[in-house]
Amino acid sequence: MEKIKVEKTASRGIAVAKIYKYGELDLKPVQYKVPEDKKKEQLDKFLDARECVREELEELAASNEIFSAHMEMVMDFTLEDSVTSKINNDSENAEAAVSEAISEVAAVFGMMDDEYMRERAADIQDVGKRLMAQLKGVKLPDIGSLDEEAIILARDLFPSDTVKINTDYVKGIITEEGGVTSHVSIIAKNLGIPTLVGVKGIFNKLNTGDMVCMDASEGVIVLFPEDNITREYEKKKQEFENEKLRLEKLRDIPVITKDGKKINICINAGNADDIERALPVKMDGTGLFRSELLYMENTHFPTEEEQFEVYKRAAMLCPQELTIRTLDIGGDKELPYFDFEKEDNPFLGWRAIRISLDMKDMFKEQLRAILRASAFGNVRIMFPMIISLEELREAKAVVEECKNELREEGKEFCEDIETGIMMETPASVLLAEQLAKESSFFSIGTNDLTQYLLAVDRGNKKIADKYSYFHPAVLSAIKHIINAGHKENIKVGMCGEMAGDIKATEILLDYGLDEFSMSAGSVDYIRENILKLQGII
Amino acid sequence: MVSKKVTIINPSGVHARPASILSKAATECSSNIFLIHNGKKIQPKSILNLMAAALKKGTEIEVQCEGENEEADLKKITELIESGLGE
Repeated sequence: MEKIKVEKTASRGIAVAKIYKYGELDLKPVQYKVPEDKKKEQLDKFLDARECVREELEELAASNEIFSAHMEMVMDFTLEDSVTSKINNDSENAEAAVSEAISEVAAVFGMMDDEYMRERAADIQDVGKRLMAQLKGVKLPDIGSLDEEAIILARDLFPSDTVKINTDYVKGIITEEGGVTSHVSIIAKNLGIPTLVGVKGIFNKLNTGDMVCMDASEGVIVLFPEDNITREYEKKKQEFENEKLRLEKLRDIPVITKDGKKINICINAGNADDIERALPVKMDGTGLFRSELLYMENTHFPTEEEQFEVYKRAAMLCPQELTIRTLDIGGDKELPYFDFEKEDNPFLGWRAIRISLDMKDMFKEQLRAILRASAFGNVRIMFPMIISLEELREAKAVVEECKNELREEGKEFCEDIETGIMMETPASVLLAEQLAKESSFFSIGTNDLTQYLLAVDRGNKKIADKYSYFHPAVLSAIKHIINAGHKENIKVGMCGEMAGDIKATEILLDYGLDEFSMSAGSVDYIRENILKLQGII
Repeated sequence: MVSKKVTIINPSGVHARPASILSKAATECSSNIFLIHNGKKIQPKSILNLMAAALKKGTEIEVQCEGENEEADLKKITELIESGLGE
């Protein structure tokens, strides 16, 4: 038995289950020369493996079209010709032939000067991985194929992994890399899965099937627990569930401060499914709808119609408030179908509103879709990364242009849709008073604001201890933004991690914050905390 | 042999998904089919060959079909491309 203390809790809760190790497999080919009379054997081996992969992909293709492209690829005759020739003419064994053929094809795509090449090379390598795993007789790890309760152990999880998480089976997540604001943390919190991140050295200590107890609230992992410890954690887990039930009973109590102000408690969402899953917590709205996921999980810039369908569904699910942040791409977020030039300082580079204003046609498709969705609920538009009045005016002018078009086309939308700013740059803090005069609302994005104000990269582990939204400079910026907003009678919300941090609730209430927007998993705790602070419970 | 010129209308060009639809349709045809682009011959029955050509929106290509069913196959392939390959 071994006990590990962890500092980074990404999502609270307790889990007792066996480990499912999700990570890299050794798919390096074993190479040898094949004698003439064994070549047929190697060819058949390839064809059999290919058939298995084809069947595997056929099943996946039913739920995601990209896999039908993968199916075409694996059956492609140029690939077959290449593998056949390597076996017959160069006396290579099947593993080596497939590995080389895949690398060659991927290299062709890699050399092309085309914005889609990366996606294509990755597709081919993905197919290659399946073929190699089949030839080697090993199973590729797949979160989606889990059919018993487990705690996922990974070096890191990416959006393509987390979309496959089924909460019936994934009881906990432990990652070696990552911080509490990384992708996996945000998703885990949304799904309510106990998660600990940045647990150094854990990956090599455990194997699939090893028993683990984890308490993500306390930050404790027990490896190979003895029976009495397992029982203890199961009891704790039960208590935690009871606690959850107790919190659920608070969901109908209105959250009003002592001086009679209603506080909005909202959720952050990446898509309409997030909102649907969060409905039981009875939030007051969606304070941040991250539209970039719609762009990132796609093979092309989503069209107006495609976006409209998503926003409309979200607006109908959550009619009280749906604040859609316009495309926030660049920095650490890339698109598979668009070639971002390498930048020395991506976080200070071409990203967010800067891209939208430069690519006006694309921006307009998004704004038209948002405007049309505004006919179905209280939809608000939020611009990210604003640093000047000019930018705000320019963005608002594009909104007006879209409104005019829609009016002429006779399409319905809300005429007085609110447009506001995600306050996340030091410049916007200093200009808050002027910006407030021309905005309908502010929402403070504490993640980037903290990083920019303190000049501390939030992904850099060496300086992770310097990244804190309790730094006096950050607190003073927040206070300033709220005051500036209230002076112009606009509401000020917060949609960064800080809004979901219990330790911050009191000071934010004190500053006069109107809206707290957070991952759905934090809503109950923040609500309870505010009710307590106001003496209601 | 019969041939006809068509223009790619897919907003993001012939990326993986439309390429998959086109190569599937081409494989079902009995004719020998080539797409001619900038003097290069692309075999649409191979998705890899098709994707490597990186056909963008607005690109004009010539579809060539040769075989017993060439007329019907040409019609099928050109109509499919003109309809936007399922997008």
